[in-house]
Amino acid sequence: MRIAVIVLIGTVLAMLTTASVRAAAGEQAFSANKCGECHVTQGPAQEKTIADQLAKKGPELWYAGSKFQQPWLEQWLQDPKPIRPLKYNSLSEENPGDHPKLAAGDAASITEYLMSLTSADVEVGVIKPKKNPKGRLIFVKKMPCSGCHQFPGKKFKGGRSAPSLHGAGKRLNPDWIYAYLKKTRVFKPIRMMPIFDGILRDKDMKSVAAYVASFK
Amino acid sequence: MQKLLPLAALLVFGLSGGMAQAVDEGTKQTFNFYCAQCHGTGGKGDGPNVTDDFPVNPRNFTKKDEMNKLTNADIKNVILKGGPVASKSPMMPPWGKTLSAEEIDSLVVYLRELCQCEGKQE
Repeated sequence: MRIAVIVLIGTVLAMLTTASVRAAAGEQAFSANKCGECHVTQGPAQEKTIADQLAKKGPELWYAGSKFQQPWLEQWLQDPKPIRPLKYNSLSEENPGDHPKLAAGDAASITEYLMSLTSADVEVGVIKPKKNPKGRLIFVKKMPCSGCHQFPGKKFKGGRSAPSLHGAGKRLNPDWIYAYLKKTRVFKPIRMMPIFDGILRDKDMKSVAAYVASFK
Repeated sequence: MQKLLPLAALLVFGLSGGMAQAVDEGTKQTFNFYCAQCHGTGGKGDGPNVTDDFPVNPRNFTKKDEMNKLTNADIKNVILKGGPVASKSPMMPPWGKTLSAEEIDSLVVYLRELCQCEGKQE
């Protein structure tokens, strides 16, 4: 029995060490690929003014491990298709789709690193993806979400100023979607999206998060 | 001198009170960051979100006739609470939890600058 416990602890420690070593290698690859020229990996958020936000060249990644799904991220880094219709921080220029493509090895390594960057403000296991009428009603009719976000709608396909939500179910962590609605300023103190906490009820934000997480 | 006073008053009114007051660059930046997504940087209702299938025409702030039907309080209320408070589209978000009271007040002044109108009196 004692031997079994020792073996188990040893295995867990070895796995943790391996993950930590891989994340450290990923951090080196992140630096070598100059990803830090556009993406911040140090949290918490520092932006205080619109000018601070406009000075950023790309989305912050300091909570990437809480925001993204690992398989999607690793695949996207190898074949980065635009997520935003417009260039980051622009309302007039189309997204040039010029995000660097990474080789499979670097993509795996950097993904490992980014997935290690998590936020304690994202509670795990709260939201299960689900198409639900209440979430849809709020997203499409009661609130202006579709005014800025492209989504899988039947008639209206959504606005263009925000990231597209097509494929959000594969890209985003459902718990992060809810956390972002609930604690928007923690992740993005200054952003074009309105604050909905205090306008929507908590259970409504959960319904919207579950609905968005169902987008294929 | 006494005859000149009303003329001076008229001049002062013409230069300040009778026309929309100018706003600072910070207010224009606020407008361009939040409002221009739908209303466009010139305020003509032609922001990048307004695609062919967009379900509503965002207000064109340069249309004096339309803007003159609204009081400043009407405009402020819609910015704070969103379109439905004035029986308008929910595509106009409630910005009350995002923008400060000062930012909203200065946006109202900027919209009056865009329409070159004073609006319906309260």
